[in-house]
Amino acid sequence: MSLAWGKVTGESRNGAVEKGAIRIDDVVKVYDPDGAAVLAVDHCTLEIQPGEICMIVGPSGCGKTTLLNAIAGFHSLTSGAIYLDDEMLCGPGKPTANPGPDRVVVFQNGALFPWKTILDNVSFGPVMQGRLDRKAANEKARQMMSDAGLSGTEDNYPGELSSGVRRRVEIVRALMNDPKVLLLDEPYRALDSLTKSVMHEALLEIYYKNRVTIFFITHDLEEAIFLGHRVVIMTTRPCKPKKILDVDIPHPRDYSVLTAPRFRELMEETIEAVHEEARKAFEAGEREG
Amino acid sequence: MTAARSVEQRGEHHQLLKAAMPFQVVSSETIQKIADAARLVSFNPGTMIYRRGERADDVFVIVRGRVEHTLGPGGSETNLVRLLQPGEVFGWAALLKTQRIRLADSLALEETQCLAIDGRALLRILGSDESGDVVMSRFATMIKRDFHAPDWMADLRPIPHEVRARQLSGLSLTMFRISAWLRSPRPYLMFVGFALFIGFWHLASEVWKLPRFSELPGPVAVIQEWTSKNPVYGISIYTSDYYLDIGVSIRRVAIGFSLATALGIPLGLFLGWSRTFRDYVFPVFELLRPIPILAWVPLAIVMFSGLETPVIFLTFLASFYATALNTMLGVESIDETYFRAAYCLGAGRWKVFRHVVVPGALPFIFTGLQISMGVAWFSLVAAEMVSGRYGLGYLIMNSYTTVRYPTIIIGMITLGVVGYATSALVRIVGDYLMQWRVRELSLGGTS
Repeated sequence: MSLAWGKVTGESRNGAVEKGAIRIDDVVKVYDPDGAAVLAVDHCTLEIQPGEICMIVGPSGCGKTTLLNAIAGFHSLTSGAIYLDDEMLCGPGKPTANPGPDRVVVFQNGALFPWKTILDNVSFGPVMQGRLDRKAANEKARQMMSDAGLSGTEDNYPGELSSGVRRRVEIVRALMNDPKVLLLDEPYRALDSLTKSVMHEALLEIYYKNRVTIFFITHDLEEAIFLGHRVVIMTTRPCKPKKILDVDIPHPRDYSVLTAPRFRELMEETIEAVHEEARKAFEAGEREG
Repeated sequence: MTAARSVEQRGEHHQLLKAAMPFQVVSSETIQKIADAARLVSFNPGTMIYRRGERADDVFVIVRGRVEHTLGPGGSETNLVRLLQPGEVFGWAALLKTQRIRLADSLALEETQCLAIDGRALLRILGSDESGDVVMSRFATMIKRDFHAPDWMADLRPIPHEVRARQLSGLSLTMFRISAWLRSPRPYLMFVGFALFIGFWHLASEVWKLPRFSELPGPVAVIQEWTSKNPVYGISIYTSDYYLDIGVSIRRVAIGFSLATALGIPLGLFLGWSRTFRDYVFPVFELLRPIPILAWVPLAIVMFSGLETPVIFLTFLASFYATALNTMLGVESIDETYFRAAYCLGAGRWKVFRHVVVPGALPFIFTGLQISMGVAWFSLVAAEMVSGRYGLGYLIMNSYTTVRYPTIIIGMITLGVVGYATSALVRIVGDYLMQWRVRELSLGGTS
């Protein structure tokens, strides 16, 4: 099954973004912890364009995080290959990609180091890579934080801030590395719906300033359609694309989109597919994962 | 009559605010504070509540009546004229950081009552609420939707962060804790507890002379002996031997504990961090660890010459196990995502060790050090009783063989006090090194 890049409308698809194309080519992942093989990802093929916000939707435990972990370099592949701008991250002869600052992950439960101040967290990447000295990194961190409306929190520790603010800091920390791709693993799962709506707009605002490819995993269809250029609905385990939706609502978007008729149409178009997979997952009795 | 009515009215305002758009997320106490800060104002039909260009001080919530709200130039075309109903909020401009000027006209169409809330007061109240940030963001979104406003315009005045402001550290934190402690009932309960304990001891041993207590020196006898310039049994706060014993014990613990810390922490870190290293070392470690310290006494005396080194070795050994084991558990307790995040951000293996493994394990390390300090004193006394000259354990044992019972009690209490003081010292150093944790705990946060 091969899925070519479809028609995507919206002024955001300008030619400025050239890097960050992800090609997932016939990927298979089998878990074999106790000799009982579990097929997590089944011949999954997907192409993501540079600068695209690609939303991956599927029920909890469907194997979408496995895919993200393979791109990030936390898991190996059983077969198939993943390419970033024609460079093979992992594939035949190299089952595991090396994690690196070109593909930064924002984790489900947040991974700001609680023992570092916000400023040290944000400047961590460039300092570790030796790209900037601490002073220059701090300067850049302050600038990016002020752009994201986070000034004033630099000297706090993560534990002192609300979870919404922590998520925003984490995205800024990722962008400090000028990554080609942002990998987001249900980053807003733990937030209440009001905070979530604020976070969505903040994410888009950051995205409009720093166009990077975004690979965003969620199980919230509304979130997916609101944010994404495309929404890829995954089958429940084993995971592979079931339906791909081009969201033809132009960017930049704000919250008024949620009440637009086109948004409702797209929701109706996809909710059946999502619901079907959710039911399958429920009947299969998959644990949350 | 009027009082009852005002209470009823306040409840009504509370309900109204709770249902109003941006306030739904804030806590009930905060709503009450907002309701308390609000004034009820009435307008006759046809009155202008405010005009474009006027100074904006208040945000309004409609209680009853209807208001026609007309945006000035720059307003969103679709929302140019709006009819506002009870429960709706208008007059955002009072919250703006700059340009606190009315951007719309609002006209009371009927007999209208509104709650007027001072913008500055509202910001202050929201600043002390946990969900304040969310409310502010909602406000910003609503403003941006009403006006095609540039970002700076919807830039709300920063919330004065009273909650965040208290960043104590080091000495000031200790002082703050002491004063908070004195203001709580705890010191007085503690005092009562001590009084009951000593009172019972006194009655049982010196007044009633209960069967098992008759040989036990009572508190009066002990305190008399302890504070006597001419102690009957040779040890009191006026004799230099007393301080010699304390000093010798402290020195032994200090050496043993320092060695245990210097060796135990690195060992624990590597055990937790490197799977291979652990596979080599941990089985041996686990086999030796359950051997009670007292079982080492003969071997220690054989292995080490003199009187001092065997005692220090035994003190060291017990501490070493506690420190190494807790450090290892500390490394294991670090969430895998912190490692992944660090690798993602480009940190190499040693940088991960330095920036993730060490600080991440620190809370467990200090728990381990406190335990380690406790067992150091424990094994010290055991060792001093068996071998050695001087020291509090030796004092106790020696007083027993020479039938100086009050001196035994003096030695015991001294051990308790010195042991507690050294543990407290470890805790203070830990707090100093882990400001992030202290602040987290003081805020009651968990993650």
